[in-house]
Amino acid sequence: MSTAETVLNVLAQVSRTEAVRDHLDLRLYDQHLLDSLATVRLIVAFEEAFAIQFDDVEFEREDWATPGHIVAFMEQRLGK
Amino acid sequence: MIPYATFTYFGVLLYAVVPAVLLGMLFRRIRVWILGASLLMILVQYSRGLVAWPPTLGREFWLLCGYALFQLVLVSAFIRIRQRAKRRGVFIAALTLGLLPLVLAKAQPYLAPGSLWGFAGISYVTFRALDVIIGIQDHTITSAPPLELAAFLFFFPTLSSGPIDRFRRFAGDWERRRTRAAWLEDLDGAAHRIFTAFLYKFILAALIKRYWLDPAAAEHGLWATVSYMYAYSLYLFFDFAGYSLFAIGISYLFGIRVPENFNRPFLATNIQDFWNRWHISLSTWLRDRVYRRFTLAALRGRWFKDDRTASYLGFLLSFGLMGLWHGTRSFYLLYGLYHATLMAAYELFSQWNRERRVWGEGLGWRVAGTVLTFHVVCFGFLLFSGRIGPDHA
Repeated sequence: MSTAETVLNVLAQVSRTEAVRDHLDLRLYDQHLLDSLATVRLIVAFEEAFAIQFDDVEFEREDWATPGHIVAFMEQRLGK
Repeated sequence: MIPYATFTYFGVLLYAVVPAVLLGMLFRRIRVWILGASLLMILVQYSRGLVAWPPTLGREFWLLCGYALFQLVLVSAFIRIRQRAKRRGVFIAALTLGLLPLVLAKAQPYLAPGSLWGFAGISYVTFRALDVIIGIQDHTITSAPPLELAAFLFFFPTLSSGPIDRFRRFAGDWERRRTRAAWLEDLDGAAHRIFTAFLYKFILAALIKRYWLDPAAAEHGLWATVSYMYAYSLYLFFDFAGYSLFAIGISYLFGIRVPENFNRPFLATNIQDFWNRWHISLSTWLRDRVYRRFTLAALRGRWFKDDRTASYLGFLLSFGLMGLWHGTRSFYLLYGLYHATLMAAYELFSQWNRERRVWGEGLGWRVAGTVLTFHVVCFGFLLFSGRIGPDHA
């Protein structure tokens, strides 16, 4: 499975919204699909899915504004 | 001299601002003047004796200098140690040391009444300093040259009441070479904000204070308190948002694009939305540095059976800290606990509502949400004002 697929699987699960898979420009925070707790859940879920540990969790909400942003963010973090 | 409060201050400010604009037109970077103007304005702001002859530098000025030296040494030492190894113990020690002067300044009324252990703005500067220490631990900050660090911590427009900038963002502007177009854009951003600030602070806030807040404050009884609650909330917004706009506008003239602090907070449709719009630089600081770190540690370590427990404790910790950050009076703490409870209740409600769909999505619901949030928030400000509550005499 590609990084993008895994990211979207995890995101769909944490946000409990299947629409994130097809709508990569969905405004996750503006649409109340993610909040502070969901952000942390997502970090932990990514850490488990990719067997990594984030050193820096100081990113801004704008970095994770949409599913597309999150995919790009994770691809960059994983060095792909 | 209190910043952005008197016409004398604005008069003095011209000596810092006019050269900044002219130098900005001639040079791509004006870093020397950022430092020079900050030193000049700090001398004016913190030395009452300066207008007298012979000029004397007050205790507050020397406390600020001592504090500056302390933080610069602390940060430099911590960077050196961090470059060798990442050690949790050292990090906690650095955080504690960085926080110590603020704790002492807040504890001073109890330990040494009548003395002065801090300076105006120490809470804001300390949060900026802790931002640097946390960034060093995360390795997002690998170098902090003393002059750049001093400019960040003591950048005069935002020194005494924020907004709380972040070092990584500031560093980008510090390095930035402005084209003529960028200089004009900054000038435009500054003019817009400064004029709005005059409207907010010197017209709207001043009118509310004179014709509504002060009369309501002098009266007693339930209706006077209700009236006072609205007046105080609106006054607080226009005064503080006006102040922030001055600070941001003046910063733009120096090419430092400090983040916004308010985004129409009274239009928030729920309490979580409100904290994304009110005193944004403080609430995002607490959200990212306290709430996120705490809940992340709790979820990674599986401290609690339910994730939500971690979240509630995270709210309690961040908003409790926010209350204390304002001061040690019990009504500040009460204000923090009030908002922590609201945030937890809202989180619980919105999860419940996702299944049940009791609270809808349409315009009517949004208006209802806005009205409800406004009132809940105003009641919070009434607590914050100290007019009611445990300390009220």
